[in-house]
This record gives sequence, C-alpha cells and structure tokens, in this order.
Amino acid sequence: MAGAAVLRRSARRIYRHLAAAPAFSRSVLQQPKRLLSSQSSPEHGARGAVSGSELALYPPERVRNFSIIAHVDHGKSTLADRLLELTGTIQKGHGQPQYLDKLQVERERGITVKAQTATMFYRHVSASQDSDTPKYLLNLIDTPGHVDFSYEVSRSLAACQGALLVVDAAQGVQAQTIANFYLAFESNLSIIPVINKIDQPTADPDNVKDQLKRLFDIDPSEALLTSAKTGQGLEQVLPAVIERIPSPPGKCDAPVRMLLLDSYYDEYKGVICHVAIVDGALRKGDKIASAATGRAYEVLDVGIMHPELKPTGVLYTGQVGYVISGMRSTKEARIGDTLHQAKSTVEPLPGFKPAKHMVFSGLYPADGSDFEALSHAIEKLTCNDASVSITKETSNALGMGFRCGFLGLLHMDVFHQRLEQEYGAQVISTIPTVPYIFEYGDGSKVQVENPAALASNPGKRVAACWEPTVIATIIIPSEYVGPVIMLCSERRGEQLEYTFIDAQRALLKYQLPLKEIIVDFYNELKGITSGYATFDYEDSEYQQSDLVKMDILLNGQPVDAMATIVHNQKAQRVGKELVEKLKKFIERQMFEITIQAAIGSKVIARETLSAMRKNVLAKCYGGDITRKKKLLEKQKEGKKRMKRVGSVDIPQEAFHELLKVSNSK
Amino acid sequence: MLRLAFPLVSHLPRTKPAAVRPRPPLARRYASSASTSASSFSPPPSPLLPPPLPPASAYVHLPFCRKRCHYCDFPIVALGSSSAPSPGGGEAAEDPRIVDYVQLLLREVSATRPVSDDGVPLETVFFGGGTPSLVPPRLVATILDALRARFGLSACPEVSIEMDPGTFDAARLRELVGVGVNRVSLGVQAFQEDLLRACGRAHGVKEVHEAVGIVTACEGLQNWSMDLISSLPNQTQEMWEESLRCTVDARPTHVSVYDLQIEQGTKFGQMYSPGVFPLPSDTESANFYKIASKRLSEAGYNHYEISSYCKPGYECKHNLTYWQNRPFYAFGLGSASYINGIRYSRPRRTKEYAEWVQKLEDGTWCHESRSSDMKDMALDVVMLSLRTAWGLDLQSFSKSFGKSLALSLCNTFKPFVESGLVIAMDMDRRALPHIDFELDLQNEDDFGSRVAFIRLSDPDGFLLSNELISLAFGIISP
Ligand SMILES: Nc1nc2c(ncn2[C@@H]2O[C@H](COP(=O)(O)OP(=O)(O)O)[C@@H](O)[C@H]2O)c(=O)[nH]1
Ligand SMILES: [Mg+2]
Repeated sequence: MAGAAVLRRSARRIYRHLAAAPAFSRSVLQQPKRLLSSQSSPEHGARGAVSGSELALYPPERVRNFSIIAHVDHGKSTLADRLLELTGTIQKGHGQPQYLDKLQVERERGITVKAQTATMFYRHVSASQDSDTPKYLLNLIDTPGHVDFSYEVSRSLAACQGALLVVDAAQGVQAQTIANFYLAFESNLSIIPVINKIDQPTADPDNVKDQLKRLFDIDPSEALLTSAKTGQGLEQVLPAVIERIPSPPGKCDAPVRMLLLDSYYDEYKGVICHVAIVDGALRKGDKIASAATGRAYEVLDVGIMHPELKPTGVLYTGQVGYVISGMRSTKEARIGDTLHQAKSTVEPLPGFKPAKHMVFSGLYPADGSDFEALSHAIEKLTCNDASVSITKETSNALGMGFRCGFLGLLHMDVFHQRLEQEYGAQVISTIPTVPYIFEYGDGSKVQVENPAALASNPGKRVAACWEPTVIATIIIPSEYVGPVIMLCSERRGEQLEYTFIDAQRALLKYQLPLKEIIVDFYNELKGITSGYATFDYEDSEYQQSDLVKMDILLNGQPVDAMATIVHNQKAQRVGKELVEKLKKFIERQMFEITIQAAIGSKVIARETLSAMRKNVLAKCYGGDITRKKKLLEKQKEGKKRMKRVGSVDIPQEAFHELLKVSNSK
Repeated sequence: MLRLAFPLVSHLPRTKPAAVRPRPPLARRYASSASTSASSFSPPPSPLLPPPLPPASAYVHLPFCRKRCHYCDFPIVALGSSSAPSPGGGEAAEDPRIVDYVQLLLREVSATRPVSDDGVPLETVFFGGGTPSLVPPRLVATILDALRARFGLSACPEVSIEMDPGTFDAARLRELVGVGVNRVSLGVQAFQEDLLRACGRAHGVKEVHEAVGIVTACEGLQNWSMDLISSLPNQTQEMWEESLRCTVDARPTHVSVYDLQIEQGTKFGQMYSPGVFPLPSDTESANFYKIASKRLSEAGYNHYEISSYCKPGYECKHNLTYWQNRPFYAFGLGSASYINGIRYSRPRRTKEYAEWVQKLEDGTWCHESRSSDMKDMALDVVMLSLRTAWGLDLQSFSKSFGKSLALSLCNTFKPFVESGLVIAMDMDRRALPHIDFELDLQNEDDFGSRVAFIRLSDPDGFLLSNELISLAFGIISP
C-alpha cells in the first residue's frame, strides 16, 4: 500500500502528504453512518487560511483549552477524530482514523506516544442568549496515554483548564482511567466525564456512573453518554466544553510568556515547538528566550495547528500554536520549559523537570560493522525524541554501541521499534536495567546504569543498595485476585490497597521494585487473568534492597553484556535460568564450554556444553568441490554473525532470549 | 618460480609402493621448490594467476544405474531392472541409451582442446558414476581410445572404474582389464542385507561376496578399493564392526569410508533428518568414524585422507589430483573439470548436456563461470590439503599467497594445536610440541623456522574438518 510508505516518513509531517496519498485506505475507516449536523464555520474549513487579525477575535474568554484522557482503547483518538470532523477541521473520510496518532508504532499498538494538538473553530449556540452565537477557538491538546510519558502528560495538562475523561461504557473504569483522573485532578482541571461506546450491546452506563461516583466522587448527572462510532450524543460534547471549562487565565498586556508543550524536528523547517501562550502575545519577528537554557531566538514563523501548520503571524493570550525560531536541535526545546520575551526577566512557569531516565539498555548493531549506520539512525531518531539519553559504550561481546536511557519500558520498546521500522536498523539490546544506587563502606556512592560497569569484586564493603520502585494499580475481575497477589509477592511487591470498585471487580495497589516489572510482568499478568487485568504504575521512591551483581561467564570469561543486578534471594534462581537458557542457545563448539553464573567469585549456577563431536563432509564428490566450498563459506558466514567472547561464539538469538528470562519468576 | 611453487603439491609419504607396476614419480614433478625455499623471505607474490599446468588426469562420468539409491543426489540415469548385463557384454545386450550417451561423450572428448601441445599425457583416468560397470567394456574401450588419441596416455596410467556388485561377472571384468582398466572401486557400502535394502541398493550381500571373489581372482588386477558407507539408518555399532571385519578380510588395497550425508531432494532427505533416529546420533556416528580409523589402521591401512585409506603406496592417484589442487579434464553429464584455473560443472540433465556438447563443437560455448582469483585459490588449497594426512605445506603456501596469510592461519589454529585437533610438523614431518609451534609464530621472521606443515589430527581433527576449515576461510576471506 502506498500509504505504508508514507507512514514510514518522519511521523509528524504525515498530514502534509495526505492530499497526495489517496491510497490511505478508506475501507478501514469506521465512519459514523449518520452525519452530524455540522456547526463548523465555513470560513475556517480545513483548507481555509486563518489570518492573524482573525485570531485577534478570540480573546481568552472565547478560548477553551482541553484534553481527552482515557484508558487505552476507550476511544480517545476516535472521539478526537469526530470532534475535528464536527468542526470541519478535517474532512470526513480524508484522513485515516485516529488522525492524531501519526507514528507507525502508535497505529500498530493503538496507543498515543507523542502528544498532538489541534485548533478548532466552533460556533456555539448558547442556551441563554439565543440571539448571540459567538465563535470559540478550541484547542484540543491530546496526551500520551502511557505512564512512561506522564511528564509529557502533566505538561500538556498544565496548558489545559479542563479534560474529557473518556470511559468505555462496557469496560468501565480501568487502571489508566484512575491514573489519568488523578493527574487531571491534581492539575485542577474541570473534568467532563464522557461514557463512550454506548452503542455496544454490553454497555452499562449506569454501572460506570456508579464507579465514577464511588471512585472519583463525580456526580452521575454530569456524565455525557456518547458513541464515537455512531455519533450518538456527540453534539453535547463541545457545548459542555465551552460551558463547563473555564477560559485560560493570563494577562493580555504582560510581556509574552509561554509554555513549551512539545517539539519535533522537521527536515525543512528545523525545530518546531508547540506552545501555549500564557501571557501577552507572540508575533513573528519577536525575540524570545528559553528560561531553561537562557538562549535567545528570533520568531521566524508562528501559527496554529489547524490541524496542519497554518501561519498566522501572531498568537494571543490563551491560544495554542506553533513557533519556529531557528533552534537546531530538539535538545534546545525542553518540554515544560518557559519561553519568554528576550529582554524581560520573567518568572518561569512551574513544573519544569528534566527528563528522568528510569530504564536503561545497551543498543548494539546486530552486525558489528554497522555501527556507523546505527549511530546515524539513533541520531536522527533522537532529533524527534530528545527524552532518550545516549552515551557511547563498548562491550567485549558486542563491540561498540550505546547505553540508552528511557523514560520507561514502553518508551524503550517504541524507540527500538521506530529504529527498526523507520530507520531499518537491526539491533541487539541488552537486558534492560534500572538506575540502582550502590553505597560502599567508605561512603562513596555510585549510580549504576550499566551492571557491567559495577565492579564484580569492588575490594570494599557494599554498605547499602537502593532501587527505584513504582506504585502499581491493577484492576481485575475478583476471581483473579489470588493469582495476582501471588504474582506481586513473587515480584517483591508490597500491598498498599485492596478494594472493590463494583460487584465484580477489585482494585489492587502495590509498591513494586521497578526492575521487577520491566521485563515480562504485564504479559504474565495478562496471562494469569485471561487478559482481563489492566495495569498502570507511577514512579515512587527508591527503597533499600539486598542487591547483588551477577556475572555470566563463558569458559571463565565474563560476558559484560549479560551482567545483571538481581535481588540476593532471587540470584540463585535467575542464575540457573539464565545459564540453562544459554546452554540451549549456544551451539556446540570444538571444545567444551562451561557456562556459569557468579556473584563476585562465587559460582551460583553452572552448566557444561560438551564439545562438538563431528562436522565433516566425508562424501565421494568426484572432483566437484564447488558445493563443498559453498557449504564451508556458509559456515564461515554463520560464524561471522556470531558474537565472540574469548574463544566462545555466541549467537545473536542468545542475547534476544536472555531479555525474556532475566527477571521473570 | 611461481610455476614451480603452485599449485600446492605435496608428495605423500614415499614409502616403497607395493604395486607390481612401476609408478611414475607423479608428485615429484611439482614438489621440487619446497626444499629450496626454506630461506627465502621474498615478499609475497603479486596476485597474478599462475600459468596453467596441463591436466594429467581425466574424469569420465558414466551415469547409468539400475535404479537410484535412496541417498544419492548425483546426476544419474536409471535404466530399470531390465538391463541386467549379459555376460561377455555382447552387442545385443547394449542398451541404446548407453550407446547414445557414449557417442555424445566421445563428441565431447574430441571437441575438447588439449591444454598443452607439448604432449603431457594423461596419468590417471577415472570412470565414475552412476554405475560404470553397467557400460559394456567395448564402449569403455572406445572412450579410452578417444582419450589416448586426443591427449595421450602415459606408459602406465592409473585407470579406475567404479563397479557395483551384481553388475559384472569374471569375464566382463577380464575384458575391462584387457582394454586397460587397472583399478576397481567396488561399491559394497554394507555387509548387511537389511541395510542394503534400506538404502535402495540394487544388490544383496550374496552379490557382494561374489563380486569380491571375482575381483580378487582377476588376473592382472592388484589394485582395488572397497567403498563403505557409515551412519546408515538403523546401523548399529556391531554391524559397522562386522562390515569393517569383512572389508579387512577381503584385503583390498584401498578402502573408502563415506559418511552418509542426507541430501535434499533424495528419498532419505524426505525420510530422515541428520542425527535423529533411525539415523545414528552425532556421537554415535562420530564413533563409527573413529572405529573405522582404528580398525583399518590396525589392519595396516594408512588414513591418508578424510574418507580414504590405503595399503602403503596405494593411494588413489586420481583423487590425489583433486586434493593437491591440480588440474583435470572431465567429460560427461554433470561432471566438473578444472582447467586453466577454471572450474566448470557440466549440465546435469541429458538434454542440456547434449546441447552444450553441440555448442562446444560449434565453438560457440565459452566459460561463463568466473576464473578463480588468488583468494579462491588459497581457499581451495587450504580446503583440499587439510583433508589429507599430508596437510598444508606452509612454505609452498607462503610462497604463493604470502607469509603473513600463512602466519594468520597458524595463529587461528593455535588453540587447536594445543587441544590436539591440529598437528604442526617440522620439515621431517615430526609433530611439534605446541610450545615450539607458538614460538615460531611470535614474529614473521622466525615463522617457518620450525613448523613446515599443519594437518588435522586423525580421527578428532578430521571429524571436525568443516569447523576447522571454515575457520581458515574466515581468515583468507574475511
Ligand atoms: N463500538 C464502538 N467502538 C468504538 C467507539 N469509539 C471508539 N471505538 C473503537 O474502539 C477502538 C479504540 O479506539 P481508539 O480511539 O483508538 O482508543 P484510544 O486508545 O483511547 O485512543 C477502535 O477500534 C475504535 O474504532 C464507540 O463509540 N463505539
Ligand atoms: Mg489513541
């Protein structure tokens, strides 16, 4: 499909290709059968130009900034599509569904990774003043749906005054509903509950209303009932946004001050920042500065996302749009930063935090010679995802590579997937790890982002170790409570809460070491609950733990890329499992191979792989040596793809497989 | 200089041949440079191809079989059971398919231009198949005549023919010997009825014993080989020991022990996977190999190549051509020649082969297959010479491909010299302790002062030859 090729391009620019790519399959559209009576203003149709003087018509009172928050799959993106259509911002049937999810990974996984933003114009028929039908400027600020990006979420929410809390009418409140509700609640947003998918036969909106009341103290009469699929009830949504959500505060006559919501890199235009104007107005030609870096820039272009970039030359107080200011890298555009008039000193907006990296892994080219290619691919990708930290590292087994820090597991997965899909890079990644802290008897402390870097025999006493934890929320049908409690205690979790949210479903809260959930936890949880569990987590404190470094040795040589940090009590079991797995994946060689797991100099698990007996071609071949030669050449190529430690060849699959065991059970 | 140093030729241990016929000093012709070059530190030769040597060997493919054996993936023509040979091979019994094929083959021989006009005659001729013993001796004679006319035959050439039990009688063998055949390679494969049947062989144990009787009784035929296959389905160690005992009792001058390879597209390929019952496990089949090596050595055979054993002096000279990387002609369906540095495999189907012969006659055929470069040559030399007990002659190798490449090879093999899979030897072919070997590798100047040859050990190194040789490949062609 031609559309697929387009998708692979730089994700954010896709909408520019839409017109040129009619092959975006229309058949996959799940359009509502019934057209909604459109109240869109014709002068601001999808193709209409918007001038700066028109924007002046929207003082803060006529502006609403809101986002949609929901558990995954409850219909956030579909609802956003409908609202964009309803306001004529996009044309029905002209884009793929989930318009705002532009990354291929977002489409494949049905998740939103990067927050998106769109401006809509809407003529509101007010109930009280039927003579006056003023137009409003509505900014829909989409948020990532996953906890890894909770910082991005919190920044997006900081630019909003309200949120649509979308809940599936059949599934009811789920783990991410709860997490997202609290994020919005803590940001003091007006929350409009939207019970969606009421067209489903199993929809039970009354039960959902009860849950909302019980969990969040939301008045059942406030809930809107919608179907983003059939269009039912959608006409209430935007009026509710206008009537229930306050307009943005902010001083129109103050020097300009804005919140940087997001940024991305465009090959032609350079860095494009999404901003919410808090105070004042921003005009083309203005000089602005970053509160975080102190650097100054000139505004080269400014406009709104409608939903494509539409230059307006100006943005006024309370409005949301984009700015291009000659930044060379997204690293200069830190999410949550305050941009302000260059000459004046201003109070930075609250809440700016540098990205916090919670999951680390080594990334190496699958074929050692491809280092340059991988390096290039990573560089390009981090242009658009400045939240990944990258440092070069070298491994005895894997050669030159990178230690990458991610916001969380999903962030890491998405990064890997984008590397492969968008840049065609083949990578080996090492077992993901978390930032541990080791303190020694002499008072020195180290943060360990790569277990291999921690001395196996430090020569001094380890006084204490700390590891990051999370607070996990798990919602399950009550019959699964037993197995889930078992799982959590195996993973060293501590129960914080156990309640019922309705007659059938329980809510569990656990404090768990982050390391215990980064590999395979969610899969296992799904497995033991027939897929019914929903799970979410938020970062919590570091806790002191009895941690040890475990080395994997092949014929006595440590394989640095396989070193891990484990809890002392689990070391034996994990070591045994790793060693067994390796025995399966390493092929017999011309000598015996001992595979050991060791803590310091103490071996805790051991397997031996006996020497290969035979690999000979003893066949009559009448002088025709070409086939035999080909066979040997093939064997040579096979050896070349292996990674080597000492004299032992390790197939690449062994590294992939270890990722799967490292921490489970 | 190059001409003498290349291709890598090693004379085999020159114990006094027990053959009754005088043997031409085949290997010596190419071996003279080895001893004169010990002190030469000349830079590696530029990567020019050596001038071609004229071939002194010819392989002739006679593809006819009664039926295809279950393990076979050679280009053959199955005749069906109707064509049992008539004793004496009279005209009436001649199958037109055979006659037509030999006709075609003779056309190929006459259309092939000899590499040299200085009249280097053929030293060896090998009739392989297929089952060449199904071809009437009269036709074999016409082929030999054609070869003699085209390329010349030396005074005492080695002329081998593959024969299967049940396809010949005493008279027919006498006739073959009469037209110049002097070496027989008898395809016995096993001494157990069940195993022979399971392989799809066209003969039983009775025919095996008869054939051995005929061959050993044949006047004027001293040199013959018994071919065996190990690792057959359901083969037990007892059966293998029995086959080896019967072999030793039959007193052939040569034994070939092939290890069953399961090839794609064969009946066995569909039925079995290597290492899985009823095929022996890798450990068992390695054990079969070791047993053969032990039993045959005890009975006075030299294990001179991975799958070849002989009484002293009875190496198959034709096969030495292959292992010493010397050129050879080839004729017939699917056969592979090596002439002027170019390896060429003929079409494997009769129709295409016939078309190809036509083109050859018309002069419209030219080699598509690329000629080998220096790297290819080095790969060939290593791959072939490491199959032999003689091993790789490092001085010759250095001379042709550079000392540093020879040194890298030795460095790669260092751990295996230590573990005993590879044996390093001095000029006098005495094994070097690995300490001495390593001393030799410390710098390029000293390299070669002690070590002169490396070979794979018997049986452990031979058993891992693919591994060891592919390691060497990784050095030569990274
Ligand atoms: N039946 C029904 N399906 C819906 C409705 N809204 C969304 N969906 C479907 O639910 C799935 C998830 O929707 P999506 O908008 O991607 O959810 P998100 O993960 O919250 O963004 C998609 O297959 C939608 O087509 C609805 O109102 N009714
Ligand atoms: Mg979505």
